[in-house]
Amino acid sequence: MRRYKPLLPVFAIYVILLIIGATTPGLWQPIMFIMFYIGIGVALNNFLGLTGYVDFGYVAFLAMGAYGMAVALNYFTELGFGAVALGFFLALLFSALLCIAVGGVALRLRGAYFAIATIGVNEGLRYLIEGARIWGGSEGIVLSGKLRKAFGPDFANYLSTFVADVCLIIVIFVASVITIYLINSRVGYALLALREDEDAAKVVGINVTKYKLIAFFTSAAIGSLIGASAWTLKLTYVFPEDVFFIHYTVEAIVIVMLGGAGTLLGPVISGLIYGALKYYLSVILPGFQLLAFAPLLIIIVVAFPDGIVGYVRKKLRGKSLFEYIR
Amino acid sequence: MQVAIKWINDQGGIKVGDTVYKLDLKYYDDESKKETVQSLVERLATVDKVKFVLAPYSSGLTLAAAPIAEKYGVLMNSHGGASDYIFEQGYYYVVQTLSPASKYQTGFLDMVHKLDPNAKRLALVYEDKEFSRAVHQAAKKYAEELGFEIVYEKTYPAGTSDLSPILNELKATNPDVIIGGGHFADGQLLASQLAELKIDVKAISILVAPALPAFYEALGTNAEGICAPAQWEVGVKYSPDVAKELGFEWYGPTQDEFMKLFKEIAGEDKTPSYHAAEAAAVLSYAKAIEKAQSLDPAKVREAMNDLGFMCVYGMWKIDPETGKQAGHEMVIIQWQGGEKKIVWPTAAANSDPCYPIPSWDEKSAGKICGT
Amino acid sequence: MAFFEQLASNLIYGMLLGGVYGLATMGLSLIFGVLRVVNVGHGAFIMLGAFTAFWMFTLYSIPPIASIVMALVIGLALGYLIFMSVMRRLLDAPELSTLLAMFGIGIFIEELAKFFWGPDYVGYSWNIGGISFPITEIPFTKICAFISSIIIAALLYIWFQRTKLGKAIRAVVEDREGAMVCGVDVNRIYALSFALGIGLTVLSGVLVTLFTPVGINVYMGGDYTLKAFVIAVLGGLGSPWGAFYAGFIFGLLENGSYTLLGLIPGVEPFGLTRFVSFAGLLVILLVKPTGLLGGE
Repeated sequence: MRRYKPLLPVFAIYVILLIIGATTPGLWQPIMFIMFYIGIGVALNNFLGLTGYVDFGYVAFLAMGAYGMAVALNYFTELGFGAVALGFFLALLFSALLCIAVGGVALRLRGAYFAIATIGVNEGLRYLIEGARIWGGSEGIVLSGKLRKAFGPDFANYLSTFVADVCLIIVIFVASVITIYLINSRVGYALLALREDEDAAKVVGINVTKYKLIAFFTSAAIGSLIGASAWTLKLTYVFPEDVFFIHYTVEAIVIVMLGGAGTLLGPVISGLIYGALKYYLSVILPGFQLLAFAPLLIIIVVAFPDGIVGYVRKKLRGKSLFEYIR
Repeated sequence: MQVAIKWINDQGGIKVGDTVYKLDLKYYDDESKKETVQSLVERLATVDKVKFVLAPYSSGLTLAAAPIAEKYGVLMNSHGGASDYIFEQGYYYVVQTLSPASKYQTGFLDMVHKLDPNAKRLALVYEDKEFSRAVHQAAKKYAEELGFEIVYEKTYPAGTSDLSPILNELKATNPDVIIGGGHFADGQLLASQLAELKIDVKAISILVAPALPAFYEALGTNAEGICAPAQWEVGVKYSPDVAKELGFEWYGPTQDEFMKLFKEIAGEDKTPSYHAAEAAAVLSYAKAIEKAQSLDPAKVREAMNDLGFMCVYGMWKIDPETGKQAGHEMVIIQWQGGEKKIVWPTAAANSDPCYPIPSWDEKSAGKICGT
Repeated sequence: MAFFEQLASNLIYGMLLGGVYGLATMGLSLIFGVLRVVNVGHGAFIMLGAFTAFWMFTLYSIPPIASIVMALVIGLALGYLIFMSVMRRLLDAPELSTLLAMFGIGIFIEELAKFFWGPDYVGYSWNIGGISFPITEIPFTKICAFISSIIIAALLYIWFQRTKLGKAIRAVVEDREGAMVCGVDVNRIYALSFALGIGLTVLSGVLVTLFTPVGINVYMGGDYTLKAFVIAVLGGLGSPWGAFYAGFIFGLLENGSYTLLGLIPGVEPFGLTRFVSFAGLLVILLVKPTGLLGGE
């Protein structure tokens, strides 16, 4: 159990955030907003952080999840709660299919080639959906009316303002457990070796492809569940230009790097900072939040190249708190 | 927005029973991101205790905010989301001030049909986004009813820098009339490439882009004669007299008062555009609150059902069931001699339409509309 | 016949566009080749060039073709400034830190531009006529953009081949340690290459507006960033010349495939051209994945 101690601070942060959200009027949505950013950080960290591979097209997995849920709710509305369950299943299925496609082509590439190939996947997929008019093409899938008719307005509202949030919370808790499991298992050690020197890892007989794929599938699956709950279920619509928006990947990368890639606590802390900053800047400095945010980001990158948690771990080495922070 | 608020407060505020309420405005920047807008609407509803929200810009954002608004029972007046389907989802607390997407290009088609019943060959080129698609699907249906022949219809993806593939194809179909566009950048690009490829037609109407002064600055004389639908324009002829003639109640500042207040607030060199719609949204709240004699959003929404008034923006009346705007009529503007003129509907027009428009060669030789 | 006429005119336009794409990617490839920095803020610099052309034309009636020099100077200065203030401190940091820093710088430039110039979409009309073909019309501005792009690329080639600095840059790309041993001041080469890369990118922004003189906006760069990434990889990352040729391939693919896709019923061919060009990238990487993981 010792190796799971680092989960303590992570869960503490989640629980405190949720308590604040549930008890303070007007803070529930902002907390969910922050949770979304923590979520994409944790999800992407399972791949980017553990393998060091930059997936610019990561948002495509969220999109697959969003479409999986939308397709289920749109075409199988009569199943009621069953449709939601089916939605999560389709989300996982679509993202797994995409994983196989990307894994086949892109995962054999390295460094910047890989990063850019994944952009190709994301943009290509988006234009395929728009150009071939799949799932409504650019008009997307709008569910609000359908859900309200099938479930009644109150229950539809309950779905998007409560159930969606609960699903996201569960996904994030599970994602963190998966991260610590991966870090502590053979997978984690193999990936650590791979991150340091992929060729050397291969030479000593580590099946790098297998471990890369494990991290890739895990991360994609979590991403798709986030897309299904935080986008489709919560917003009740899916537009391709929205869900394939590459800016979300970049935000997720920023969160992973700020917190410290490959750490458990890193994306949680930086997701919290990033989300909270974004929210409060849009309240205090409407219109200028990005102007204030950009220099801050540059300074942090220059001052803490290992990320916040990486920096703290260096300072704490040898102290008793050390084993709680990963 | 501030104009209408100032006007109402200067008039003594809103009277409910014996109490007089003054309006106050709270605003946040949603960065046009769907996640942000939900948080901010919740903040407005709970932290700021706002009861009446002016909905975010764009249809998707309105849709994202609607469940939150309904949850907290705040009323949301959409002055930015123009798509029809928002109001077909059954949200009771969302009402619309803008004319819906389905109305955007119909006025132009009416105008062409009336000016020249022989101009039958219609081509559509528009951006592949939900809004422009909604506009042009509705326009296409309407055009067929009017007896137009659709000779070409294609879309282009957002963010493209060269439209020549579809425009070369379009040229070969030899249309009389072109409608299309989508947003700012592509609308300018469409006009500029129609000019480059010398695709001469009798009338052109492009969404969004030509309604802004930047359009003429960017295209120069090539912009001459190009039409665009607009929710409102400086110089529309809505006034207390017109309202009386038509038998409607007039409410809010007159055109001159509006312009004066606007310049006071925004600065001398600014020209109002979407601001009139915002003002109308604020006025509709004030009017409905007064009518309901209550600040309860449910009662105010109730009161809106049979509210109908004319203001600087034109008519304001919603369809009781869906909350969709039914009273307001769009105007068609056309660039004539470097000025934006209102050419349709006749009741609001301050100039005659220029038809057929000069060819691109004539325009580059300096010919402008109205000479 | 109409089919072949359409195809021909689309290919002509695709080639003209490709020339601009090519030059707009060279800066990105140069920076990656020398410093191993992925410039995620690429588009912001293209936007600066576009606005340079716009303001020079609108305020002083300077033809955009003359703004090229101006844009290059602005870009060089800005690139040098960014290198000295930020990038220099990140040379030993992990690859991702520089990526993040460039992302921040890109946003900062865009937001500053929005602060000063506003969020409007602007444009200019520099009407200098065009050539009429039986199949299509081509404005001289687009031809100008194309020819300038070729001349600049050629000048750059000569500079790289003939001058000492150019040779030093090539040496660093080929073999960093080797160059260092031979007495090349690597930090100076880094600074120079970064400045030159940004300079080229800002300059290409002028050509972009020559090709598309409208729709100039502070956020216009995003699409160019994505395309530039893809083109850079097509051309074999890190090679400015490869990027230049790949620009042509990309332009031809984007416009040329339209005519063929138009034959499929029930789809939006223009949207699908984007799918084809991105899918084309993946196919090329599948066949020739430079940086493939050994022989598995």
